[in-house]
Amino acid sequence: MPSGALLFQSVILGLLLGGLYALLAAGLTLYFGIMRVVMIAHSAFLILAAYLAWWSHTELGIDPLLSMVVTVPLFFGCGVLLQRLLLARLRAVTLTMMSVLLTFAIAVVIEGLLGYVFSGTQRRIQLGYGAASLELLGARIAVVKLIAFGLAGVALASLYLVMKKTTFGWALRATIQHRDAAKLVGIDTDRVAGYGFGLGLATAAVGGTALSLDTTIYPSLHWHWIGPLMAIIVVGGLGSVPGAAAAAMVLGLAQSLLQIELGTTWAQTVFYIALFLTLAVRPQGFFGGRLAQRF
Amino acid sequence: MPSASERLLTPTRAAGGVALLAFAAVALAYPSIAPNPYLLSVGIVVLNYAVLSTSWNFVGGFTGYISLGHGALAGLGAYGTGLLVTKAGLPSFVALAAAAVMVAVLAVPLGYAALRVRGASFVIVSIALVLVTLLVFQSWASFTGGSRGLNVPRPFPGLLRPEHHRVFFYLFLALLAVALLVWWLIDRSRFGLGLKAIREDEDKAEALGTPTFAYKLVVFVVSAFFTGLAGGLYALWFGDLDPIFQFSILTGSYMVLMALLGGVRNLFGPLVGALLVGSALEYFKVEFGNTPLHLVATGVLLALVVLFMPDGVLPALGALFRRFSPTTDSSIREVTAAELAAQRTGGDLHAQSRNG
Repeated sequence: MPSGALLFQSVILGLLLGGLYALLAAGLTLYFGIMRVVMIAHSAFLILAAYLAWWSHTELGIDPLLSMVVTVPLFFGCGVLLQRLLLARLRAVTLTMMSVLLTFAIAVVIEGLLGYVFSGTQRRIQLGYGAASLELLGARIAVVKLIAFGLAGVALASLYLVMKKTTFGWALRATIQHRDAAKLVGIDTDRVAGYGFGLGLATAAVGGTALSLDTTIYPSLHWHWIGPLMAIIVVGGLGSVPGAAAAAMVLGLAQSLLQIELGTTWAQTVFYIALFLTLAVRPQGFFGGRLAQRF
Repeated sequence: MPSASERLLTPTRAAGGVALLAFAAVALAYPSIAPNPYLLSVGIVVLNYAVLSTSWNFVGGFTGYISLGHGALAGLGAYGTGLLVTKAGLPSFVALAAAAVMVAVLAVPLGYAALRVRGASFVIVSIALVLVTLLVFQSWASFTGGSRGLNVPRPFPGLLRPEHHRVFFYLFLALLAVALLVWWLIDRSRFGLGLKAIREDEDKAEALGTPTFAYKLVVFVVSAFFTGLAGGLYALWFGDLDPIFQFSILTGSYMVLMALLGGVRNLFGPLVGALLVGSALEYFKVEFGNTPLHLVATGVLLALVVLFMPDGVLPALGALFRRFSPTTDSSIREVTAAELAAQRTGGDLHAQSRNG
């Protein structure tokens, strides 16, 4: 039986990791809500943002957090273009399947380009405060992990505010709930859908920067993220943001606790086991509504 | 139900028949005319892709459900065969059959979880399958050999390398023929009709009484069986398995790319796609080596096919051909109104005899 301090530390680390998962899963949920698209390239953009943060730190010497000034608007623009130029062109009947292939192709292209430009070497940001840590009730928490969690928290909170308090958020939620009805009351659903995609991809920029602070990155890393993220959105119920956030927290915690006994590699299987069990027992997920039952 | 079009020799049909005969002749003669063993082995790799992609097309073509995880099923067939030979000491081809059956059995719970809801979850499960099998086969080194790989002894130890290639070329060709035959049989059956109804509109198919879930599950298991066979045969031929390559998401995406490029609704679509993409892949490997750029090329090609040619080259060629031939059918249906009427009377007789 592991000691109380170790257990406590794992719980803290699990919650911190869960926060990052929640932010990224929120982006995936947004895409699915808007267009019924499973966006495989989400985690590839995540790694791209991490590489951009690493590059701006090593080549330009600026703090990786500052790279967000560029990456967040850039990714927002990419998201809008991706939706308007590529995904909107697909046939509506086969949209779910073909969009998977299209975003898969984008993920593979990003992975290949990252490998070509930055080589397959593993990269890591060396920060002045990288080794600093806080001591809390016998648990040792790295400062960078707290920063990453803080970033995720702030981004999730602003996403929530945008969705609930702004006119654009209203229009976006209306588009998600019923596209035709939204169109009837005068919402330009195409434009709103594009901006919604931009918003989703912007979360990947924030998440990637947070990830780059304390993770070794390499081009094919995105496959290690897309699996858990997809498991999270299915367990939470496709299309439900609170469900995804709750599933992210629970599974992040479970992964962190299982690492004590099983090691990092086997602990990852918890996501896939949760995915299979959810689909076998409750295919609409644990928080999913009407939408999830059909997909 | 013989329909009128089968007795009609349209130019398209004639061209298809000639092309098929030509392909069969070239394929049968290829081991004799291939100038060196390397090119023969390329032929085997391409045939392997053709079998895999045809197996994928049982699910992708009939039901429209796109699986990116068939690479994992092939990998399981390969490792299953290898482990049954090395650990259990079974004869090579008994192990191959047993491994394929095991993959098919495994496909039942997988399909049960993945197929109860519509498309999105199926894709997610298929990708998760690749990721989890890679994880397990890399980490469980004591059983699978882990990253060091697994050596599969050759089934014919007495044969020299060129002879070995020649035998396996014909084995893969035979497997391809069987897979194509089964696809053709399903295509013509009531079962196939139900599957295609699922592809066109699953809600309507269900409303008309098609047991959609059972149909999807059965065809998924059939597809997994053939994929497992292809993977196992590859293991016996190549003799050296590495989890990184066996459980690669790329293998699955190659199958999709080949089938889509050729045309998923056509019997020979995946074969044509495999000939095109498989040869291109091998060519790129020789010319440029293993750079990350082959990922970019694969991705760009897949995106182009999805965006501009989601029905594949065969239907595009067929349309071009029909444009130049004096046509009688103006309908967009696959069958003419006369055929439909003939089928209807025939179908009623069938229905009566079944009900009676």
